[in-house]
Amino acid sequence: MGHYIELNAFDLFWATGLIVIASLISIGLRLGITKSLFLAATRCVLQLGAIGLILKKIFQIRSPYLVLAWLIIMLFFAAKEAVRRSKNKYKGISQDAFLTMSVSSLISGVLVTQIVIKISPWYDPQYLIPIFGMIFGNSLNGICLCLDKLLEYIRTRTKEIEVRLAFGATRKEAILPGARDAVRTGLIPIINNMSVAGLVSLPGMMTGQIVAGASPLQAVCYQIVIMFMIAAANAIGSMAIATVASRRLVSEYGLETREWDI
Amino acid sequence: MLDGQSRNTDVNGVVDFECGPIEYEGAGNCVPFKDIHLKFKAPHLSIITGPSGCGKTTLLKIIVGLKRARVGIRRINKKTYGEGDLSKWRSKCTLLLQDAPVIEGSVLNNLLFPFEFKNSNTRKFSRDRARGLLNEFGLGHIKFDQDANLLSGGERHRLCLIRALLWSPPVLLLDEPFTGLEPELQNKCFDKVLEFSRIRPAIVICVLHERNFLKRADSCWRLEDGTLHRA
Repeated sequence: MGHYIELNAFDLFWATGLIVIASLISIGLRLGITKSLFLAATRCVLQLGAIGLILKKIFQIRSPYLVLAWLIIMLFFAAKEAVRRSKNKYKGISQDAFLTMSVSSLISGVLVTQIVIKISPWYDPQYLIPIFGMIFGNSLNGICLCLDKLLEYIRTRTKEIEVRLAFGATRKEAILPGARDAVRTGLIPIINNMSVAGLVSLPGMMTGQIVAGASPLQAVCYQIVIMFMIAAANAIGSMAIATVASRRLVSEYGLETREWDI
Repeated sequence: MLDGQSRNTDVNGVVDFECGPIEYEGAGNCVPFKDIHLKFKAPHLSIITGPSGCGKTTLLKIIVGLKRARVGIRRINKKTYGEGDLSKWRSKCTLLLQDAPVIEGSVLNNLLFPFEFKNSNTRKFSRDRARGLLNEFGLGHIKFDQDANLLSGGERHRLCLIRALLWSPPVLLLDEPFTGLEPELQNKCFDKVLEFSRIRPAIVICVLHERNFLKRADSCWRLEDGTLHRA
């Protein structure tokens, strides 16, 4: 790692001036969002501050149990958020989101941290926590989009699913067109991100590494690994959630409407 | 036990169908069913009537297994179908759903999709036969690549009927297949369905409101108070 310029409390005070500029504009134009702007800024400071303190402690203690516990907490919040963002819901959706997310994150996260980067010790929080954080944050998006699309399909195209079943489709065949569509939807953001990476803006992690003094080429290598890892987590997660949700909502007897909770 | 004896005597035992006894607890505004046991030998065309809300659609859905109920046995010829074989059962005992639902895509896609399922086995889709049926049902003007969702109600009903006849299952269940058709077309469609049951030969069980076809059926039933009465 090269050198980077450390920030102190005074620097943050100046940064606060930027939020003041934004709120002055919103007051001047009577946008009516000054309050929410300040609230959001305060939340941002408090949340990040708390996380900073917690991470500092975790980095100091360097206990594998503590690191794993923290990862599970992050996973829990990510799954909860994925469900909250989905417009349609069903009984057991939280459980399904949590399970699929853990499986998809685990596969790609373990692969990257243990085989690609080869971190040592295996639980080194400096790598494990930010990398898993990126996986959770991104697969949350994919899983949520996929789930929403699938449930929307089941809700609006009930008749079509029934027609297929009536002509002898297995339950998998009956939902396949919808599931395929849903997985595709879940993968769109990461495909878009990969194809414009570096052209429109430098990805966040790469920016961070460059600011922290890493060589741009190293930063690029890391970014590529991370992008592929996120793509895999998204693909596995979308496929898993589509499969699990379909199994729950379409049985041999057709659509299990009792499971709906919209 | 209901035994629908066919008036047509040339029964060579090609299709022997049994479904029941059906016990259904009832749900919503549908009364419970008791002691419904269907047994037919092809060729046979049976019509079920009954006041609206008596559960005719529910009964058909229970037979094909698109609604949960206790069903003693589901059998075609010597083969019985358990709870795990419902999709195989439905490829043999196929229900034409009410209101003629179509799937998104072209007319061709709507006629073809059942043949792409695993359970279709050796059944082959014939474009010529599909075209022939479209012509016979007065849909000669419709192209295969047309969007099925843009068809009129009457056209959709006939398209769904054609889909079922092309699929040609040994047991075909029809849920008000002629709704929204003019009397003349209804006659024509009924002729086709009757012809199908005779030539394949197949068992056709048809829920109908139109009373004028009753005398042409092999057996007529009335669903009331949760049981079938011979009409």
